[in-house]
Amino acid sequence: MPRDDFKRELNDAFSRISGSPGSDLPARVRSALIDAPERRGPGWLAGVAAVAIAALIVGALFVIGPLRSGHSTVPVGVATPSPSVADSPTPAVSPSPSPSSSPTQSVYVCGSSTTLNGTQPALSALIDSVRGGTHAGYDRITIEFQNGQPANVQITPQSNATFTQGASGQQVQLQGKDGLLIVIHGADGHTAYSGPTDIHVGSGILEARQLEDFEGVVQWGLGLAKPACYHAFWLTNPNRLVIDVQT
Amino acid sequence: MGLVMEQRPPAMARAADGDPDAFSVLIQPLLDPAYRLAAVMLGDRSAAEDAVQEASVKAWRKLGQLRGDERSLRPWFLSIVANECRMARRQRWWSVVRVAEPQRPSEPGAGGLASDLKDAVLRLPADDRLPLVLFFYLDLPLDEVARALGVSESAARSRVYRAARKLRSDLTEEDVF
Repeated sequence: MPRDDFKRELNDAFSRISGSPGSDLPARVRSALIDAPERRGPGWLAGVAAVAIAALIVGALFVIGPLRSGHSTVPVGVATPSPSVADSPTPAVSPSPSPSSSPTQSVYVCGSSTTLNGTQPALSALIDSVRGGTHAGYDRITIEFQNGQPANVQITPQSNATFTQGASGQQVQLQGKDGLLIVIHGADGHTAYSGPTDIHVGSGILEARQLEDFEGVVQWGLGLAKPACYHAFWLTNPNRLVIDVQT
Repeated sequence: MGLVMEQRPPAMARAADGDPDAFSVLIQPLLDPAYRLAAVMLGDRSAAEDAVQEASVKAWRKLGQLRGDERSLRPWFLSIVANECRMARRQRWWSVVRVAEPQRPSEPGAGGLASDLKDAVLRLPADDRLPLVLFFYLDLPLDEVARALGVSESAARSRVYRAARKLRSDLTEEDVF
Protein backbone atom coordinates (compact mmCIF):
# COMPACT_ATOMS: atom_id res chain seq x y z
CA MET A 1 0.00 0.00 0.00
CA PRO A 2 1.46 3.39 -0.92
CA ARG A 3 2.50 5.44 2.03
CA ASP A 4 0.19 8.34 1.15
CA ASP A 5 -2.85 6.09 1.18
CA PHE A 6 -1.92 4.61 4.51
CA LYS A 7 -1.19 8.00 5.97
CA ARG A 8 -4.43 9.47 4.69
CA GLU A 9 -6.51 6.60 6.05
CA LEU A 10 -4.70 6.64 9.34
CA ASN A 11 -5.05 10.37 9.79
CA ASP A 12 -8.71 10.10 8.93
CA ALA A 13 -9.06 7.48 11.66
CA PHE A 14 -7.18 9.67 14.12
CA SER A 15 -9.31 12.62 13.20
CA ARG A 16 -12.51 10.73 13.80
CA ILE A 17 -11.27 9.59 17.19
CA SER A 18 -10.05 12.96 18.39
CA GLY A 19 -12.30 15.50 16.72
CA SER A 20 -11.20 19.03 17.47
CA PRO A 21 -10.56 20.54 20.85
CA GLY A 22 -13.24 22.73 22.36
CA SER A 23 -12.84 26.38 21.56
CA ASP A 24 -12.57 27.06 25.27
CA LEU A 25 -9.48 24.91 25.79
CA PRO A 26 -7.02 27.83 25.72
CA ALA A 27 -9.17 29.69 28.25
CA ARG A 28 -9.37 26.59 30.44
CA VAL A 29 -5.64 26.14 30.36
CA ARG A 30 -5.00 29.77 31.09
CA SER A 31 -7.43 29.68 33.95
CA ALA A 32 -5.73 26.60 35.37
CA LEU A 33 -2.35 28.31 35.12
CA ILE A 34 -3.64 31.34 36.95
CA ASP A 35 -5.22 29.17 39.59
CA ALA A 36 -2.11 27.02 39.98
CA PRO A 37 -0.92 27.67 43.50
CA GLU A 38 2.77 27.32 42.85
CA ARG A 39 4.46 29.35 40.20
CA ARG A 40 7.92 28.01 40.34
CA GLY A 41 10.39 29.79 38.23
CA PRO A 42 13.91 30.98 38.78
CA GLY A 43 12.59 33.35 41.45
CA TRP A 44 11.39 30.42 43.47
CA LEU A 45 14.69 28.62 42.99
CA ALA A 46 16.49 31.76 44.08
CA GLY A 47 14.30 31.82 47.17
CA VAL A 48 15.18 28.24 48.02
CA ALA A 49 18.83 28.95 47.42
CA ALA A 50 18.61 32.00 49.66
CA VAL A 51 17.01 29.89 52.39
CA ALA A 52 19.79 27.34 52.14
CA ILE A 53 22.49 30.01 52.17
CA ALA A 54 20.84 31.80 55.09
CA ALA A 55 20.63 28.53 57.01
CA LEU A 56 24.31 27.87 56.37
CA ILE A 57 25.26 31.35 57.51
CA VAL A 58 23.18 31.04 60.67
CA GLY A 59 24.65 27.65 61.37
CA ALA A 60 28.19 28.87 60.84
CA LEU A 61 27.68 31.91 63.03
CA PHE A 62 26.08 29.80 65.71
CA VAL A 63 29.00 27.39 65.72
CA ILE A 64 31.49 30.24 65.77
CA GLY A 65 29.71 31.66 68.76
CA PRO A 66 29.52 35.40 68.80
CA LEU A 67 26.10 35.71 67.34
CA ARG A 68 23.80 33.44 69.30
CA SER A 69 20.91 35.81 69.02
CA GLY A 70 21.75 37.16 65.64
CA HIS A 71 18.60 36.32 63.76
CA SER A 72 18.07 39.90 62.80
CA THR A 73 21.28 39.96 60.85
CA VAL A 74 20.21 37.13 58.64
CA PRO A 75 18.16 38.26 55.68
CA VAL A 76 15.30 35.92 56.36
CA GLY A 77 12.96 38.08 54.41
CA VAL A 78 15.06 37.63 51.33
CA ALA A 79 14.70 33.91 51.65
CA THR A 80 10.94 33.96 51.55
CA PRO A 81 9.65 32.85 48.18
CA SER A 82 7.51 35.41 46.47
CA PRO A 83 3.91 35.10 47.51
CA SER A 84 1.72 32.91 45.41
CA VAL A 85 -1.90 31.97 45.58
CA ALA A 86 -1.07 28.90 47.62
CA ASP A 87 1.09 30.86 49.96
CA SER A 88 -1.78 33.03 51.02
CA PRO A 89 -2.41 32.01 54.60
CA THR A 90 -6.02 33.07 54.54
CA PRO A 91 -8.18 30.93 52.36
CA ALA A 92 -10.69 33.67 51.94
CA VAL A 93 -12.32 35.12 48.92
CA SER A 94 -9.71 36.14 46.43
CA PRO A 95 -11.40 37.73 43.47
CA SER A 96 -8.98 37.47 40.62
CA PRO A 97 -10.45 39.09 37.55
CA SER A 98 -9.21 37.39 34.48
CA PRO A 99 -9.35 38.72 30.98
CA SER A 100 -9.69 35.24 29.59
CA SER A 101 -12.84 34.34 27.79
CA SER A 102 -15.30 32.26 29.69
CA PRO A 103 -15.66 28.58 28.90
CA THR A 104 -18.16 27.87 26.19
CA GLN A 105 -21.64 26.70 26.91
CA SER A 106 -20.80 23.13 25.92
CA VAL A 107 -18.52 22.72 28.94
CA TYR A 108 -21.21 23.51 31.44
CA VAL A 109 -23.71 21.17 32.94
CA CYS A 110 -27.06 22.89 33.34
CA GLY A 111 -29.72 21.69 35.73
CA SER A 112 -28.44 18.19 36.35
CA SER A 113 -26.31 16.55 38.99
CA THR A 114 -22.71 15.50 38.69
CA THR A 115 -20.62 13.00 40.61
CA LEU A 116 -16.86 13.24 40.60
CA ASN A 117 -14.99 10.24 41.92
CA GLY A 118 -11.68 10.77 43.61
CA THR A 119 -8.94 9.13 41.61
CA GLN A 120 -6.61 8.49 44.51
CA PRO A 121 -8.83 8.95 47.52
CA ALA A 122 -7.26 9.47 50.91
CA LEU A 123 -8.78 7.85 53.96
CA SER A 124 -10.07 11.27 54.79
CA ALA A 125 -9.09 14.12 52.52
CA LEU A 126 -8.24 17.14 54.62
CA ILE A 127 -9.55 20.40 53.27
CA ASP A 128 -6.96 23.08 53.81
CA SER A 129 -8.24 25.89 51.67
CA VAL A 130 -11.48 27.20 50.24
CA ARG A 131 -11.25 30.05 47.77
CA GLY A 132 -13.62 31.94 45.59
CA GLY A 133 -12.78 34.00 42.57
CA THR A 134 -14.47 35.90 39.79
CA HIS A 135 -13.47 35.52 36.16
CA ALA A 136 -14.84 36.78 32.89
CA GLY A 137 -17.98 34.73 32.33
CA TYR A 138 -17.84 32.60 35.43
CA ASP A 139 -17.24 32.50 39.16
CA ARG A 140 -15.02 29.82 40.60
CA ILE A 141 -14.99 28.06 43.93
CA THR A 142 -11.87 26.02 44.68
CA ILE A 143 -11.66 23.54 47.52
CA GLU A 144 -8.14 22.36 48.13
CA PHE A 145 -7.19 19.10 49.82
CA GLN A 146 -4.00 18.53 51.70
CA ASN A 147 -3.45 14.79 51.47
CA GLY A 148 -5.37 13.37 48.53
CA GLN A 149 -8.75 13.48 46.92
CA PRO A 150 -11.97 12.60 48.69
CA ALA A 151 -13.85 9.44 47.75
CA ASN A 152 -16.39 11.31 45.69
CA VAL A 153 -18.20 14.57 45.27
CA GLN A 154 -21.84 14.98 44.39
CA ILE A 155 -22.98 18.27 42.97
CA THR A 156 -26.68 18.91 42.77
CA PRO A 157 -28.41 22.01 41.49
CA GLN A 158 -31.55 23.22 43.17
CA SER A 159 -34.13 25.84 42.33
CA ASN A 160 -33.72 27.80 45.54
CA ALA A 161 -30.98 28.93 47.85
CA THR A 162 -32.38 27.26 50.96
CA PHE A 163 -30.20 24.52 52.39
CA THR A 164 -30.38 22.22 55.38
CA GLN A 165 -27.52 22.37 57.84
CA GLY A 166 -26.25 18.89 58.49
CA ALA A 167 -25.63 19.19 62.19
CA SER A 168 -28.74 20.99 63.35
CA GLY A 169 -31.18 20.20 60.59
CA GLN A 170 -32.02 23.86 60.43
CA GLN A 171 -32.80 25.59 57.20
CA VAL A 172 -30.45 28.30 56.10
CA GLN A 173 -31.14 30.82 53.42
CA LEU A 174 -28.18 31.85 51.31
CA GLN A 175 -28.10 34.81 49.02
CA GLY A 176 -29.55 34.25 45.59
CA LYS A 177 -32.50 32.56 43.95
CA ASP A 178 -30.92 29.26 43.04
CA GLY A 179 -28.42 26.94 44.57
CA LEU A 180 -25.85 24.25 44.15
CA LEU A 181 -25.26 21.64 46.82
CA ILE A 182 -21.78 20.15 47.05
CA VAL A 183 -21.53 16.96 49.08
CA ILE A 184 -18.01 15.68 49.60
CA HIS A 185 -17.67 12.14 50.91
CA GLY A 186 -14.46 11.07 52.57
CA ALA A 187 -13.37 14.54 53.59
CA ASP A 188 -12.60 16.54 56.69
CA GLY A 189 -13.19 20.26 56.82
CA HIS A 190 -11.93 21.04 60.32
CA THR A 191 -8.52 19.43 60.91
CA ALA A 192 -6.50 21.43 58.44
CA TYR A 193 -8.91 24.22 57.63
CA SER A 194 -9.71 27.11 59.90
CA GLY A 195 -10.70 29.67 57.31
CA PRO A 196 -14.07 31.22 56.72
CA THR A 197 -17.08 29.02 56.23
CA ASP A 198 -19.21 31.71 54.66
CA ILE A 199 -17.76 33.31 51.57
CA HIS A 200 -19.07 35.93 49.20
CA VAL A 201 -17.63 35.34 45.78
CA GLY A 202 -19.10 37.38 42.94
CA SER A 203 -22.12 37.98 40.75
CA GLY A 204 -22.66 34.30 39.90
CA ILE A 205 -21.84 32.61 43.18
CA LEU A 206 -23.34 35.10 45.58
CA GLU A 207 -22.53 33.11 48.67
CA ALA A 208 -20.78 29.87 49.57
CA ARG A 209 -21.37 28.43 53.00
CA GLN A 210 -20.28 25.26 54.73
CA LEU A 211 -23.34 23.28 55.76
CA GLU A 212 -21.87 20.16 57.28
CA ASP A 213 -18.58 18.73 58.43
CA PHE A 214 -19.32 15.50 60.23
CA GLU A 215 -18.21 11.88 60.01
CA GLY A 216 -16.34 12.27 56.79
CA VAL A 217 -19.00 14.22 54.98
CA VAL A 218 -18.47 17.87 54.15
CA GLN A 219 -21.22 19.87 52.52
CA TRP A 220 -21.08 23.31 51.05
CA GLY A 221 -24.01 25.21 49.64
CA LEU A 222 -23.69 27.81 46.92
CA GLY A 223 -26.26 30.56 46.62
CA LEU A 224 -26.53 31.51 42.96
CA ALA A 225 -27.93 34.44 41.06
CA LYS A 226 -29.59 32.20 38.48
CA PRO A 227 -30.14 28.50 37.72
CA ALA A 228 -26.82 26.71 37.81
CA CYS A 229 -24.79 26.02 34.73
CA TYR A 230 -21.56 24.71 36.09
CA HIS A 231 -18.41 22.80 35.27
CA ALA A 232 -16.73 20.71 37.95
CA PHE A 233 -13.34 19.11 37.63
CA TRP A 234 -10.20 18.10 39.51
CA LEU A 235 -6.84 19.73 39.47
CA THR A 236 -3.85 18.11 41.11
CA ASN A 237 -0.62 19.14 42.82
CA PRO A 238 -2.20 20.04 45.11
CA ASN A 239 -5.51 18.29 44.79
CA ARG A 240 -8.29 20.74 44.17
CA LEU A 241 -11.96 20.46 43.43
CA VAL A 242 -12.83 23.28 41.06
CA ILE A 243 -16.36 24.35 40.29
CA ASP A 244 -16.98 27.06 37.74
CA VAL A 245 -20.43 28.59 37.71
CA GLN A 246 -21.42 30.52 34.66
CA THR A 247 -22.33 34.14 35.28
CA MET B 1 6.36 25.74 15.38
CA GLY B 2 9.99 26.42 15.95
CA LEU B 3 9.57 29.66 14.09
CA VAL B 4 6.72 30.70 16.33
CA MET B 5 8.81 30.03 19.39
CA GLU B 6 11.78 31.88 18.01
CA GLN B 7 9.65 34.93 17.44
CA ARG B 8 8.71 35.07 21.11
CA PRO B 9 11.82 34.82 23.21
CA PRO B 10 10.48 37.46 25.63
CA ALA B 11 7.44 35.27 26.29
CA MET B 12 9.72 32.35 26.98
CA ALA B 13 11.72 34.39 29.45
CA ARG B 14 8.64 35.76 31.19
CA ALA B 15 7.12 32.28 31.35
CA ALA B 16 10.29 30.95 32.92
CA ASP B 17 9.98 33.73 35.47
CA GLY B 18 6.54 32.42 36.41
CA ASP B 19 4.25 34.60 34.32
CA PRO B 20 1.17 32.46 33.55
CA ASP B 21 -0.01 34.75 30.78
CA ALA B 22 3.32 34.48 29.02
CA PHE B 23 3.28 30.72 29.33
CA SER B 24 -0.27 30.43 28.08
CA VAL B 25 0.71 32.50 25.02
CA LEU B 26 3.72 30.27 24.53
CA ILE B 27 1.84 27.00 24.58
CA GLN B 28 -1.31 28.15 22.85
CA PRO B 29 -0.15 26.87 19.42
CA LEU B 30 0.65 23.54 21.07
CA LEU B 31 -2.75 22.97 22.63
CA ASP B 32 -4.35 21.69 19.46
CA PRO B 33 -1.72 19.00 18.76
CA ALA B 34 -1.57 18.21 22.48
CA TYR B 35 -5.30 17.68 22.56
CA ARG B 36 -5.25 15.47 19.47
CA LEU B 37 -2.47 13.40 20.97
CA ALA B 38 -4.35 13.01 24.24
CA ALA B 39 -7.66 12.25 22.56
CA VAL B 40 -6.18 9.41 20.55
CA MET B 41 -4.25 8.04 23.51
CA LEU B 42 -7.24 8.15 25.83
CA GLY B 43 -10.03 7.60 23.33
CA ASP B 44 -12.05 10.13 25.28
CA ARG B 45 -12.34 13.77 24.26
CA SER B 46 -13.33 15.19 27.60
CA ALA B 47 -10.56 13.32 29.40
CA ALA B 48 -8.16 14.55 26.73
CA GLU B 49 -8.94 18.17 27.50
CA ASP B 50 -8.47 17.49 31.20
CA ALA B 51 -5.13 15.85 30.48
CA VAL B 52 -3.94 18.78 28.39
CA GLN B 53 -4.98 21.21 31.08
CA GLU B 54 -3.16 19.24 33.75
CA ALA B 55 -0.11 18.77 31.58
CA SER B 56 0.03 22.50 30.91
CA VAL B 57 0.23 23.28 34.60
CA LYS B 58 2.92 20.65 35.08
CA ALA B 59 4.86 21.96 32.11
CA TRP B 60 4.74 25.46 33.52
CA ARG B 61 6.16 24.26 36.80
CA LYS B 62 8.89 22.30 35.03
CA LEU B 63 9.76 24.96 32.50
CA GLY B 64 13.04 25.62 34.24
CA GLN B 65 14.06 22.04 33.46
CA LEU B 66 13.62 22.47 29.72
CA ARG B 67 16.95 22.17 27.96
CA GLY B 68 17.73 23.30 24.46
CA ASP B 69 16.36 26.13 22.42
CA GLU B 70 12.75 27.11 21.93
CA ARG B 71 12.31 24.40 19.33
CA SER B 72 12.59 21.86 22.12
CA LEU B 73 9.36 23.11 23.60
CA ARG B 74 6.98 21.16 21.35
CA PRO B 75 8.39 17.63 21.83
CA TRP B 76 9.00 18.39 25.50
CA PHE B 77 5.43 19.54 26.07
CA LEU B 78 3.99 16.63 24.10
CA SER B 79 5.99 14.19 26.19
CA ILE B 80 4.43 15.70 29.31
CA VAL B 81 0.99 15.35 27.76
CA ALA B 82 1.73 11.71 26.92
CA ASN B 83 2.82 11.07 30.50
CA GLU B 84 -0.32 12.69 31.77
CA CYS B 85 -2.35 10.37 29.56
CA ARG B 86 -0.51 7.35 30.92
CA MET B 87 -1.29 8.48 34.44
CA ALA B 88 -4.92 9.08 33.55
CA ARG B 89 -5.21 5.58 32.15
CA ARG B 90 -3.78 4.09 35.31
CA GLN B 91 -6.22 5.82 37.54
CA ARG B 92 -9.06 3.87 38.97
CA TRP B 93 -11.97 5.66 37.41
CA TRP B 94 -10.49 5.12 34.02
CA SER B 95 -10.82 1.37 34.26
CA VAL B 96 -14.42 1.81 35.31
CA VAL B 97 -15.16 3.94 32.28
CA ARG B 98 -13.44 1.50 29.99
CA VAL B 99 -15.72 -1.29 31.11
CA ALA B 100 -18.61 0.68 29.70
CA GLU B 101 -16.98 1.05 26.28
CA PRO B 102 -18.83 -0.84 23.57
CA GLN B 103 -17.25 -3.94 22.12
CA ARG B 104 -15.44 -3.22 18.94
CA PRO B 105 -15.13 -5.45 15.93
CA SER B 106 -12.25 -7.88 15.93
CA GLU B 107 -9.40 -8.45 13.51
CA PRO B 108 -7.46 -5.21 13.49
CA GLY B 109 -5.92 -5.71 10.11
CA ALA B 110 -9.02 -6.85 8.31
CA GLY B 111 -10.65 -4.67 5.72
CA GLY B 112 -9.53 -1.40 4.27
CA LEU B 113 -12.39 0.76 5.52
CA ALA B 114 -11.59 3.78 7.60
CA SER B 115 -13.87 2.56 10.37
CA ASP B 116 -11.85 -0.65 10.57
CA LEU B 117 -8.69 1.35 10.85
CA LYS B 118 -10.20 3.52 13.56
CA ASP B 119 -11.19 0.42 15.51
CA ALA B 120 -7.76 -1.04 14.98
CA VAL B 121 -6.14 2.14 16.27
CA LEU B 122 -8.29 2.04 19.38
CA ARG B 123 -7.26 -1.54 20.01
CA LEU B 124 -3.59 -0.70 19.89
CA PRO B 125 -1.83 -0.28 23.23
CA ALA B 126 -1.48 3.41 24.06
CA ASP B 127 2.28 3.19 23.75
CA ASP B 128 1.88 2.07 20.16
CA ARG B 129 -0.59 4.81 19.37
CA LEU B 130 1.81 7.44 20.61
CA PRO B 131 4.54 7.15 17.93
CA LEU B 132 1.90 6.88 15.22
CA VAL B 133 0.11 10.02 16.36
CA LEU B 134 3.34 11.95 16.64
CA PHE B 135 4.68 10.90 13.28
CA PHE B 136 1.59 10.69 11.12
CA TYR B 137 -1.18 12.74 12.71
CA LEU B 138 0.92 15.58 14.11
CA ASP B 139 3.43 15.24 11.28
CA LEU B 140 6.43 15.72 13.53
CA PRO B 141 9.86 15.06 12.06
CA LEU B 142 11.54 11.93 13.38
CA ASP B 143 13.96 13.84 15.58
CA GLU B 144 11.05 15.47 17.40
CA VAL B 145 9.23 12.15 17.64
CA ALA B 146 12.36 10.76 19.24
CA ARG B 147 12.56 13.59 21.76
CA ALA B 148 8.87 13.27 22.62
CA LEU B 149 9.32 9.55 23.16
CA GLY B 150 12.58 10.01 25.03
CA VAL B 151 14.45 7.61 22.76
CA SER B 152 17.02 7.80 19.99
CA GLU B 153 15.95 8.67 16.48
CA SER B 154 16.57 5.13 15.25
CA ALA B 155 14.54 3.72 18.12
CA ALA B 156 11.74 6.15 17.31
CA ARG B 157 11.85 5.02 13.71
CA SER B 158 11.54 1.41 14.83
CA ARG B 159 8.63 2.17 17.10
CA VAL B 160 6.75 4.00 14.37
CA TYR B 161 7.29 1.16 11.96
CA ARG B 162 6.42 -1.57 14.45
CA ALA B 163 3.21 0.18 15.43
CA ALA B 164 2.27 0.80 11.80
CA ARG B 165 2.81 -2.88 11.03
CA LYS B 166 0.33 -3.77 13.74
CA LEU B 167 -2.26 -1.92 11.70
CA ARG B 168 -1.15 -3.07 8.29
CA SER B 169 1.02 -6.15 8.39
CA ASP B 170 1.98 -5.84 4.75
CA LEU B 171 3.58 -2.41 5.11
CA THR B 172 7.20 -2.12 4.15
CA GLU B 173 9.54 0.41 5.70
CA GLU B 174 9.47 2.36 2.47
CA ASP B 175 5.67 2.60 2.71
CA VAL B 176 5.93 4.12 6.15
CA PHE B 177 8.84 6.53 5.77
